[in-house]
Amino acid sequence: MSFVFLIFLPILAALFVPLLFKKMRQIHTGWFVLIVPVILFVYYAMLVPTTSEGGQLVSSFQWIPSLDIAIVAYIDGLSLLFSLLITGIGALVVLYSIFYLDKNREQLHNFYVYLMMFMTAMLGVVQSDNLISLYFFWELTSISSFLLIGYWYTRDRSRFGALKSMMITVFGGLMMLGGFVLLGIMGNTYSIRELIAQAPEMASHSFFTWALILILLGAFTKSAQFPFYIWLPDAMEAPTPVSAYLHSATMVKAGLYLVARFTPIFAVSGTWMWLVAGVGLFTMFWGSFFALKQKDLKAILAFSTVSQLGLIMSLLGASAAGYHIGGAADTVFKYAAFAAIFHLINHATFKGSLFMVAGIVDHETGTRDIRKLGGLMGLMPITFTIAMIGSFSMAGLPPFNGFLSKEMFLTAMLSLTEFNLFSMDVWGVLFPVIAWIGSVFTFIYSFFFVFHTFAGKHKPDLLPKKAHEAPIGMLVSPAFLALLVLVIFFIPNQVGDWLIKPAVVAIQPFLYTAPADVNIHVSAWHGLQPEFWMTLGIFLVGGLLFWKLHKWQRAYDRFPDNFTLNRLYDNLMYLSDGGANRFSALYMTGFIRSYLVYMFSFLIIIVLGALVLNDAFSINLNNLAPVGFYEIVILLALIGSTVTILASKSRLTAIIALGAVGYSIALFFVIFRAPDLALTQLVIETISVALFLLAFYHLPQLSLKEERMKFKLGNAIIALGVGVTVTLVALSSHSQKALPSISQFYKETVYSEAGGGNIVNVILVDYRGFDTLFEIAVLGIAGIGIITMIKLRLSKKEGQHENQ
Amino acid sequence: MTMSNMLLFPILIPLVFATILMVFPKNVRMQRIVAAAGTLFTLIASLFLLVKVNNDGVQAITLGSWPAPFGISMVSDLLSVLLVISSSLITLFVVLYSFPSIGIKREQSFYYPAVLFLMTGVNGAFTTGDIFNLFVFVEVLLMASYTLIVHGGEKPQLRESIKYLLVNIISSALFVAAVAFLYSVTGTLNMADLAVKIPQIESTGILTVIAVLFLVVFGFKAAIFPLYFWLPGSYHAPPMPILALFGALLTKVGVYAIMRTYTLFFVMNTGFTHELLGIVAILTILAGCVGALAYFDVKKIIIYNIIIAVGVILFGVSQLNEAGVQGSVFYLIHDMLIKAALFFLVGIIAVLFGTTDLRKMGGLIKTYPVLGWVYLIAAFGLAGIPPLSGFPGKLLIVQGGFEGPQFWGSLVILATSLIVLLSVVRIFIYAFWGNPVETMPVTKTVYRQMFVPTVILVSFTVVLGVGAEFFMPLISGAGEVLLNPALYIDAVLKE
Repeated sequence: MSFVFLIFLPILAALFVPLLFKKMRQIHTGWFVLIVPVILFVYYAMLVPTTSEGGQLVSSFQWIPSLDIAIVAYIDGLSLLFSLLITGIGALVVLYSIFYLDKNREQLHNFYVYLMMFMTAMLGVVQSDNLISLYFFWELTSISSFLLIGYWYTRDRSRFGALKSMMITVFGGLMMLGGFVLLGIMGNTYSIRELIAQAPEMASHSFFTWALILILLGAFTKSAQFPFYIWLPDAMEAPTPVSAYLHSATMVKAGLYLVARFTPIFAVSGTWMWLVAGVGLFTMFWGSFFALKQKDLKAILAFSTVSQLGLIMSLLGASAAGYHIGGAADTVFKYAAFAAIFHLINHATFKGSLFMVAGIVDHETGTRDIRKLGGLMGLMPITFTIAMIGSFSMAGLPPFNGFLSKEMFLTAMLSLTEFNLFSMDVWGVLFPVIAWIGSVFTFIYSFFFVFHTFAGKHKPDLLPKKAHEAPIGMLVSPAFLALLVLVIFFIPNQVGDWLIKPAVVAIQPFLYTAPADVNIHVSAWHGLQPEFWMTLGIFLVGGLLFWKLHKWQRAYDRFPDNFTLNRLYDNLMYLSDGGANRFSALYMTGFIRSYLVYMFSFLIIIVLGALVLNDAFSINLNNLAPVGFYEIVILLALIGSTVTILASKSRLTAIIALGAVGYSIALFFVIFRAPDLALTQLVIETISVALFLLAFYHLPQLSLKEERMKFKLGNAIIALGVGVTVTLVALSSHSQKALPSISQFYKETVYSEAGGGNIVNVILVDYRGFDTLFEIAVLGIAGIGIITMIKLRLSKKEGQHENQ
Repeated sequence: MTMSNMLLFPILIPLVFATILMVFPKNVRMQRIVAAAGTLFTLIASLFLLVKVNNDGVQAITLGSWPAPFGISMVSDLLSVLLVISSSLITLFVVLYSFPSIGIKREQSFYYPAVLFLMTGVNGAFTTGDIFNLFVFVEVLLMASYTLIVHGGEKPQLRESIKYLLVNIISSALFVAAVAFLYSVTGTLNMADLAVKIPQIESTGILTVIAVLFLVVFGFKAAIFPLYFWLPGSYHAPPMPILALFGALLTKVGVYAIMRTYTLFFVMNTGFTHELLGIVAILTILAGCVGALAYFDVKKIIIYNIIIAVGVILFGVSQLNEAGVQGSVFYLIHDMLIKAALFFLVGIIAVLFGTTDLRKMGGLIKTYPVLGWVYLIAAFGLAGIPPLSGFPGKLLIVQGGFEGPQFWGSLVILATSLIVLLSVVRIFIYAFWGNPVETMPVTKTVYRQMFVPTVILVSFTVVLGVGAEFFMPLISGAGEVLLNPALYIDAVLKE
C-alpha cells in the first residue's frame, strides 16, 4: 500500500473542515475531525508487528526528481513510534478540544485546519527519508505552530508568542537546511538511508563538522534547548489543546527525532556527543530550576517540558558513546538510547495529561495563576487524581512509568563517568551530578504543581469563576493518558519489545541489527545500585526542599530581568525595527546629493582599484594624430567654458557657457572631418540652449548662498575622481587595442553592398538600422512623457479609486 | 531560417500596439481592450517562441541580412525567452490590475502606451545579442519608465522623478563610455563575437577593468550595493500598478545583463570579477535586509525585498557552477512573479486601509480572510518556504555557494531568509491580525477586479514551486547555455 499518501490525509481532510463548520453548525466540528487521527492510529498500530521484528517499509512518490527531491515515507521502529504518538495523542487532543473549545464562540474551522495541517507536517517530518522533504515538513510544523499560537490573534501576547516561536524555529530550520545541503554534497544524495550507509567516508570531509553544527541548530531550536528554549514559554498563549499536542507531546520532539535519526551518521564525532549530551543536560537542569519561578500553571509545564526535552536529548548524546566502545551492546553503555525512547513515550503520556489538567483548571476556575489556586482537591477530585498521577510520574515516583525511565536515565549518566574518550574521563563526572540536581528540582516542581493547585486553602474570592469538576468528556483524554502512565509501569517490557527496541535499532545500527538483539530488561527493582541511592536522595532532598518551599522560592524574584535570554530576543527584535530604522536613516537621507556621493565614490574606488590591482593602466601614444594649433585653441575654450559654468553666479552665464562647451565639441568634430556629427551636435546645442533660455524665465533664482567649504570640497574631490577614473580607463582602453575592429568590414562594403557613400549614414540606417528604429521610438516616448507631465496634474486624492 | 523572425515578435507587437494606442488616447474602453490585447498577443508570441527554442535550440537572427558580427544580432536562448515570457505575463496582469486601480485620468493620458513601450524595451533588452543594442533597448525602457514614474504629476512623483532621471542619465552616460572602451579593446559589439574574441586577448587587465565598469553600469539598473540608493525613494512615488511593473521588471534587466555578460564573455579573470560580484551580492542582501526591517510602510518593505532578491540572484551567478547558475535562473523568474504579486497584494491592503502605514492597520483577516491567506502564501513564497516557488531556486543557490568559492555566502543567504520572512510576516501580523481597524468603503466590483488578477498571479507562483519538476528542464537548459557559451556563439555566428 502506498502509505506515503496517508501523510497527506489530515491536510486533505482539512479542506472539508470550513465547509462542515459552516453547514453543520449544530455538531461540533471536532467530531468529524476526530475520525482522521483515529483511522491513522489504527493503521499505524497494525504495522507494529512488522517493525517489532525489525522490518522496514518504504513508500514514495517523486516530486522534483531533477533536484533529487521526493516524498519518501520510510517506516521503521523510530518513525512508527513517532507516528503512533502523533496520531494517538492527536486523537486524544481533538477529543479534548471538542469540550474545551466552544462551538459557538470559537473559530473552529481555522483551529482544526491548522491542527490537521500540523498533523500532516509532523507525520511528514518523522517519516521522510528525503532530507529536502523532511525540511519542507519541518517548516510546515513551524508555520502551523505559528498559526495555532496566534489563534486568538487579537491578543498582543498571542501575536508576540507566535512570531517569537516562528522566528526561532524557522531560524533553526534554515540552518538545518544548510546542514542538509552539505550532507547532500558530501554523500551525493538526499536520502537519509543512503547517507547512513556511507557515513564512515563522510566523517573525514571538511564539511562534516559544519553539517553537524547546522543540523544541531535545527534540532536545538525546535526542541527548545538552551539557549533557544525561550520561545516555548511564550508559545503557551496557544489554546491548551495545542500546548498539550504541539508544545509538549509532538512538535518539540521533532528535534529529538532528528538527533536520534542522525546519530548513526554523527556518533563518530566527539563534538556531536559533547554538544548533544552537554546542551541537553544543561537544559534539563536550567528548565527544572526555573520551573519553580513560574506562577502560571502552563508556564510551569512549559519549563518542565524544556527540562524533560533536555533530559531526553542528553540521553541521545550519551547513546553516541556506544559507537566508540567495542561490544557496547553488552556493557552499561547500552542503556542510553533505550532510556531516551522510553522516557520520550512516558513524557508524552504524563505531560499530555498534565497539560490537559492545566486546561481544565483554567476552564473551570478562569485562572491559571497558581497563587490564586489551591484547595481544589475536594471540588475536582477526578482532575486531582489525574494530576497526581502525572506529577508523581514526572517526579520519578513508583508505581508510575516515570520512575522506570528516570532510573535508567541515572544509569546512563553514571555510565558516562566510565567513558574515556573526548576528555569524558575528566569531565564525565559532571553528568551524574547535574542530572541529580536537575532531578531534585524536577521532584520539587512536580509537587509544587499538583499540591499548590489542589491542596492547601481554597480561595474562591480570587477565582473569576466558581470552581467545579469538569464535564466528563473533557476528562476522558487526560484520564486515559493517566491510565497509560500506570499501565506502562507494570508492562514496561511489552512496550519495550513493541516500540522501544525497534526504535533503538534505528538509533544504533552500529550495535544491533534487529530489535531482538537489544538485550535490555526493565525492572522496577535491581538491587542497591548507585542509581537507587541517587533516587532515594532525590526523594529526601526534594521532599525536604518542597516542605520549605515558601521560605526560599521568593529568592527567584531576585534574579535580574535585564540579562535574560528573553531580553536578548526582545532587544534583537527592537533592533530589527527601531534600530534598523535609525541605522537606515543615517544614510537614507532623501537627498540625491548624498546618494550620488556614495555611488560615485563606489565607482571611483572599485574601478580605480581594478585598474591598479590588475595592472591594467597603460598609455600608448604611438597611434595618435598630431596636435595642431586649432586643437589647442578649442581645448582651451572648452576648459574655459567648463570653468565658467562652475564659477558663474548667474544662471544665464552658466547656460551660455554650457552652450560654448557643446559648440567647442562640434568644432572638434569638424577638425576630425566628421561633418555629420558636427552638424548634429550644433543643432542639438542650439536647441537645448534655446530651450533653456525659454524655460529660464520660469526658473527660481539661483541660490546665492555660499555653501560650506567642506561641502564644496567634497563635491570637487568626487567630480575630479570620476573624471580621472574615466579618463584613465579611456586612455588605457585606447592604448590596448588588441584586435582589429569590425569597422573594416563597413569600409569594405559600404559602397559595394550597402550602396551608400556616407558610412555614418549607412551605419545609422542599414548596418545598425534597428538601433535607429528604437532611438526614434525613444523620442516618441519622450513626447508622450512630456505631454502628460504638462497636462496631467493629479493631487494625491483624486488620483486614486475614482473608478468607483 | 525564416522562422527565426519569431523572436522579434515579443518586441514588435507591443511597439505596434503602443503606437496604435496613441491614436485614441481619450477612449478608455478602447485603451483597455487594445492594451490587454497587445500584451496578450505578446505573451502568446513568446510562448510560441519558447516551444521553438526548446525544440530547436538557441534562435538567432542578424538584422538587415548582414553576416553576424556586423549587423545587429537578436538571440533567443532559454534564459532570454523565459524572461520574455515572465515579463509579458506580468505586464498583462499589470494592465488588468490597472483597470480598477490606476484611475481614468491616467488611463486617458497615454498610460497604456507607456506601459507597452516599457514592455518593448524590456523584451528587447532580454533578447538582444549586441551590447550597443542593449543600450538602445535600455534607453527605450528608461524613457518609458520616466514617463510612468512622473505619470500623474503628483508632488512626490515630481520630486522623486528628478532623482530617478538624474541617476539613470549618469548610468546611461557611463554605459555608452563602457561600450566604447570595450569596443576599443576588442573591436566588436556583438556579444557572441565578444565571447569568441575575448579569450584571444592576452592582456586581461584592461578587460577586467571594463568588466568592473560594466558591473557598475548594470549595477545601477539592478540596484546592487551601493548603487541602490536611488531605488527606494523613486519606487515609492508612483501608484501601485506602476510600482509593481517597475519592481518586477526593471531591476531584472540589470540583473539579466550582469548574468549574461558575466557568463558569456567577461570570464577572463573570474578570480577577480566574480569574487567581487559575490561580495557585492552579499552586501546587497544585507543592505536590503536593513531596509526591509526599518520601515512600517508596506510599499517600502516590499521595495527593499527587491534589493535582497537581486543580491541572492547575483550571488548564484557569481559562483559560476551548475547549481548556482540554475538556481539564479529559477530564482530570477520566481522573483519577478512573486514581486508583482506582492505589490498587487499590498496595493489592495493599502486601498482597503487608505494608508500604507502598517501601524494604522489591523484585523483584516476577519473581513477579508481569503486575501489574508493569499497574502500569507505569497509571503512564504517570497521567503523560500517549500513547496512554494522561492524554494528550489534558493536551494540551488545555497548549494552552488557551498560548492563554490564562497561558502560563507550561502550561510548569509540562509540566515537572511529569516529576515525576509520577518519583514513580510510582519505585514501579515499588523494588517491581518490584531484588533480590526475601520476600512475604506471599497465596492465589491473594484475589490474583485483587483483581487482576481492577484490570485491568479499568486497561483502561478505556487504552480512554479509545486510543479518545479515541470519547469526544471527549461531552467537547466537555460543554465546550460550560460555555462557553455559555445551553444550561444554557434547559434549566432554559424549562419
